[in-house]
Amino acid sequence: MTFSQDLNLLIAALLLAGIYAVMAVGMTVIYGVMKIVNLAHAGFLMLGAYFAYELFERFHIDPLLGAVLAMPVFFVFGMGVHWLLVRWLPKSDTPTLASLLLMFGFWLVLQNIAYIVWGNEDRSITTPRTLSAVTVGPISVPEVNLIVFAAAAVCLVVLQVVFNRSWFGRSMRALIQNPYAAQIVGVDDERTSRLTFGLGTAFAGFAGALLGMIYSFSPDFGRPFLLRSFVIIVLGGLDSVSGVALGAVVLALLETFGPQIRFHDKYIMPDSLQPALSFALLVVVLVIMPKGLASVLSRKRRLT
Amino acid sequence: MKLPSSPGAWLKVVLPWLLLAVLLLLPASGLSANLMKLVFITAVWTTASVAWNLLGGMAGQVSFGFAVFYGIGAYTTGILMHAGWNPYLAFLVGGVLAAAASFLIGLPTFRLRGPYFVIATIGVTEAVRVVMNNLDITGGSGGYRIVEDGPFRPLEHYYTALVVVAMAVAISAIIAGSRFGLALRAIKQDEDAAADLGVNPYYTKLKVHALAAALVGIAGGVYARRAAFFYPGDVFAFQTGISILLMPVIGGIGTVWGAVLGGVIFGTVEEELVANFPNIHLLLYGSLLILIILFEPDGLMGLLRRLFRRRREGPGSPDTDKVLWGSGRVEGREL
Repeated sequence: MTFSQDLNLLIAALLLAGIYAVMAVGMTVIYGVMKIVNLAHAGFLMLGAYFAYELFERFHIDPLLGAVLAMPVFFVFGMGVHWLLVRWLPKSDTPTLASLLLMFGFWLVLQNIAYIVWGNEDRSITTPRTLSAVTVGPISVPEVNLIVFAAAAVCLVVLQVVFNRSWFGRSMRALIQNPYAAQIVGVDDERTSRLTFGLGTAFAGFAGALLGMIYSFSPDFGRPFLLRSFVIIVLGGLDSVSGVALGAVVLALLETFGPQIRFHDKYIMPDSLQPALSFALLVVVLVIMPKGLASVLSRKRRLT
Repeated sequence: MKLPSSPGAWLKVVLPWLLLAVLLLLPASGLSANLMKLVFITAVWTTASVAWNLLGGMAGQVSFGFAVFYGIGAYTTGILMHAGWNPYLAFLVGGVLAAAASFLIGLPTFRLRGPYFVIATIGVTEAVRVVMNNLDITGGSGGYRIVEDGPFRPLEHYYTALVVVAMAVAISAIIAGSRFGLALRAIKQDEDAAADLGVNPYYTKLKVHALAAALVGIAGGVYARRAAFFYPGDVFAFQTGISILLMPVIGGIGTVWGAVLGGVIFGTVEEELVANFPNIHLLLYGSLLILIILFEPDGLMGLLRRLFRRRREGPGSPDTDKVLWGSGRVEGREL
């Protein structure tokens, strides 16, 4: 393989990492604040893709704009879901059986409503942009992937600012660190949880729409991405936003370069096994560093 | 043995034996082929449901990955029977291999607190199905066919499934009343407290996971032998894992008879619904799951128990109010 091919793959992997990060971050904030493993995340991703698809097919709205529009819509939707279902769950420091099963049930409902509405054939959003590529010297990148990456990066930066600078972000961080102490100093647990769930859902819808610009989708669209989101947030240490970015890069690099590894000029891993890679990574991470990559790095920093 | 004291307690002891006797004698009275198949399928599902309940209901460890064990049982049975083994020996080997596979998930994840086990179980189903689709020995995604000499013997399959489900229920009932069962419940409620009282949560969880996996593996083998044809998208499907989880939750999580009830209802409904409305049935189960978690975490068993209690106490009892005003009650309740 030539150097330029390697470079192309590297850039593709980094672009992929951007979208993976946005996809996982919605799940991370919800887990961090409420300790709920949001299995319905897969359903929200799928709905996000169909949201952009419908806007594009019916009103000819650019899917990128559709993705941005998805944010407020899914924010309200997420707050509704929290108000209707999630707030009744018992509070706990670790994920409860009840929360897992509730979110899973909701995912089943979303998925199968989508089957009824859209059927099970694959859809895709095809714009004039879909097939064009940007070429700089030896490097060639699909235009859509670039746009999606840029949107994802902007979104993550905005989230980071909200997280660090706003009152809401401060309440979120307080709840993540210590829910009891946070309530003692006056953080409104119920309201922050509702807003967080809305925020997580908004990110899921946004990421789903972005993913829909790159891949074709069906009502079962979210499932493989659900596992990837899990792996990313486990790598990132379950509740840190910057950890998510790191986890996304690691997973994207592995998925891109894994099938390229050769031994005696033979590919070790057939392409078809690629979906199993994220699980293998998960097991390895759990065995070697159960607290995630971020914790390993921060420990080093403290020591030196 | 202690004798039951009340009529209700008598019923609890007698009913299971009565049910088993009726099912064993049923074919003698001329059972239609369809009904026999229905009982067979229901018995297989119920075995899986009861097995899931050991881990998920009693020890509180939710697994979405039981399809892996079901599939391993099916494929082991298929491959060994192809090699000329006795089918019953093949079932057992399938169970042992499934138990061995359970360590693959349990060893790295049970040491840790938090959602790691659940996450791993979702991942393992995906990974295993992908691998099975690409292995030579399993025949890949095209599926695997079991060819048996002689005519099709529905009665043998029927009785095999009954024996397996009776075995699973008996094991569950014994565990529920044993020290081991108490250890499982302790882990479900509070791992730290359980560890303080001398229970090793790690080994206990590994043990019960392996036991449940073995039972599901055997069920998978029994199913595979009758079906005679299966493929990774069927036995290893995420959907299969979901079904195995739904049964005990619908029936009543944590109780042996809840798991049995869930299995029986699911098996019966599944046979009718899947053929006619493939999407409606999962929508139905999803909604049911939400309603059960929010209003009746003990599933159908809890509902039944409450109905009977209400009748005895008469209208206007505190429980009636809870039936009507379900919300608010859930808060603070540990499932």
